[in-house]
Amino acid sequence: MTPYLLLSAALFSIGTFGVIARRNILIMLMALELMLNGANIALVAFARMHAAANPDGTSTAAIGQVFVLVVMAVAAGEVAVGLAIVISLWRTRRTVDTNDLQMLNG
Amino acid sequence: MTDPVFLITSLVAVGSAVAAVTRRNPVYAAVWLLICFLSFAVILLQMAAPFLAAIHVLVYTGAILVLFVFVIMLLNLKDDELGEEYGTGVWAAASALSLGLFGLMAWPILADPKLSAPLPELPADFGSVEAVGRVLFVEYGLPFELVSLLIVVAMFGAMVLAKKRLWA
Repeated sequence: MTPYLLLSAALFSIGTFGVIARRNILIMLMALELMLNGANIALVAFARMHAAANPDGTSTAAIGQVFVLVVMAVAAGEVAVGLAIVISLWRTRRTVDTNDLQMLNG
Repeated sequence: MTDPVFLITSLVAVGSAVAAVTRRNPVYAAVWLLICFLSFAVILLQMAAPFLAAIHVLVYTGAILVLFVFVIMLLNLKDDELGEEYGTGVWAAASALSLGLFGLMAWPILADPKLSAPLPELPADFGSVEAVGRVLFVEYGLPFELVSLLIVVAMFGAMVLAKKRLWA
């Protein structure tokens, strides 16, 4: 299970790098998706680690995979709202550079 | 754990993820992200999650990435409109920070002997549509309904945010 978790940690770190080091808001959103995916890989890995047959032998518990489905739905909602914010920023400010977005800076 | 398929797909995933977050043009970043998401689907297949692998391809490459490309085309950014990026100093600091974060996560993973123990034998229908669906609809019915509510709210939020004049 160790290599899967290391891969998940690596992808989360790469996503963190993208969010910290980039200024293009589209690339920052893509890096956020990478971070969510890294967490998903860890969830699926732990589900595989604790895979066991139920006592009645018919169904198996794949609760970790259900969590991943919920995370995917949240990611889809996040990206829809995030890209809508990008479009409305482009309409009002003509920029995708996050350093230009200082309207709340008093 | 020297499975060659896992080795190749994880190298492809990490390499294309690094390429995706370092491209200047978002279109290239989206193409690298596509490769990364497809290798994720292969990794999910290897971890006995065939249903999730199919959903991953459908949702991430089919919906999220298409939405990204759609917005990139809608904005139609010229090269001078892409904005400036930080210099090499900030990039070096950020990569040092994220390498430190990786080390912070890798250390307990490598130190825990429970994680390197051999995997339990796989139940016959583990990760199938039936197994996942039964857990989702029997045990986690309320969270499922809440997620559908979240998606409806996100849909209305996206429409309100992106529309030019709301009441016209």
